[in-house]
Amino acid sequence: MDKSRGQQLLTDAQKGRHEEFKSFVRLDVEPFAEQWDREQRLPESVIATLAKRGYLGCSLPREYDGQGWDTVTFGLLNEALGRGSSALTDVVTVQSMVSMVLLKWGTTEQKRKWLPPLAKGEMIGAFALTEPDAGSALQSLTTEFTPNSKGDCLLLNGHKKWISCAQFAEVFLVFGKLDQRPAACLVPRDTPGLHVEPISDLMGFRAAGLAQLHFQDVEVPSANLVGKPGFALSHVAPVGLHYGRISTACSALGLLRGCFEESIAYAGTRKIGDKTLGDMGMIRSLIARMGTDLEAGSLLCHNACRAEDGHLPEAFEKTLMAKYFTSRAAVRAASDAVQIRGASGCHASSPVSRYYRDAKIMEIIECTTQIHEDILGNIFVDQAGRFGK
Amino acid sequence: MTTTDEKGIRETVKRFILSSISIAKLDDDDNLFESGIVNSLFAVQLMTFIEKTFAIEVGTDDLDIENFKSLNAMTAFVLQKNGHANG
Repeated sequence: MDKSRGQQLLTDAQKGRHEEFKSFVRLDVEPFAEQWDREQRLPESVIATLAKRGYLGCSLPREYDGQGWDTVTFGLLNEALGRGSSALTDVVTVQSMVSMVLLKWGTTEQKRKWLPPLAKGEMIGAFALTEPDAGSALQSLTTEFTPNSKGDCLLLNGHKKWISCAQFAEVFLVFGKLDQRPAACLVPRDTPGLHVEPISDLMGFRAAGLAQLHFQDVEVPSANLVGKPGFALSHVAPVGLHYGRISTACSALGLLRGCFEESIAYAGTRKIGDKTLGDMGMIRSLIARMGTDLEAGSLLCHNACRAEDGHLPEAFEKTLMAKYFTSRAAVRAASDAVQIRGASGCHASSPVSRYYRDAKIMEIIECTTQIHEDILGNIFVDQAGRFGK
Repeated sequence: MTTTDEKGIRETVKRFILSSISIAKLDDDDNLFESGIVNSLFAVQLMTFIEKTFAIEVGTDDLDIENFKSLNAMTAFVLQKNGHANG
């Protein structure tokens, strides 16, 4: 990995941070990731450590108590964490989704109130978009905000499902409809009428604290609306989903690196008669694909992060491409990593069994592979139309 | 060419839209949203392009369809953000 083209494009400061992230993951994440997965929960102490290290507010400006790191560094953090635990990375993913939406669309008062505790990790946020009957079809949201007669409060009713980190989040960015227009609103966890129902026994991301949210006549101040009603799905959610995809793309890249490193280590030492596994052509084929995907994914992620740092409009499609590629490559690599290890890869004592379950989730969160294909296909067909004009 | 006068702003935005979306032509008052030209991905790309190109920041108070519905609307919006209320 260190000799890859993606690494060569980094500044010394970015390389230094990446080494720091990888060291943290090696010592404080990897040894415990299997236990968190088995227990289906992250200990408070590890989230507190993320907070203490500034990882939960790393993309926010210093004026809001963030670290002010560039997106390339944010990507490297997610890559390093993704090698250790997809569930733990999901905390960084979701925190960045809520934080960056607030940074972009929050009022001055909202930024002052919410961003510092989010940046310092004193408060964990969750992005409450998906509903039981509205996943990819976001226009079908049925959660409803109803203004009271004075107009200073909203009454919230509805149901959200598959919400990452909802088991321990203190504030939710909830999407719904207000007078038939898409709207987004911050809802503190302790608001009466909000019931959080944990979801357990997921295939992957088992420690990511997913939950359902039930809102029954939940009263929230109108001042908690983020962005204007009518723009929640066209402008507010896309900012969050964009950061979610950057994070997930890089996290999938980290998982892919894990598969690669575990596989080459095993192939180099596992004896088959007087040869090693790595001497066998069919195993080399699997590892060749993994290593090449790793290099390609690294460059796609770096391109996407660089474009975001340049505040370029193409950052959105570059991020879609990165997430599309690395999540699919991670699924392939995890499957091959299990195959290379054989029976021992099917047991919890090897991280590749967890990688196998977690990788599939990467293809689903922050829009499915199929939605990515639809959007990217549309972009490429449009480009062909332009060239044909 | 300067992109800070009315004509320059309009042409710059028009070039970006035509380079991003496969449409035959775009008139200055064509409504981008009613015509279905703009999806949510392109809405944020267009906003980012305007922010980057004209060194302005689109904030929550600017979230008004009247600011983005057409080339003329976006031109007026950029001029107003840059302190040229009447162009």
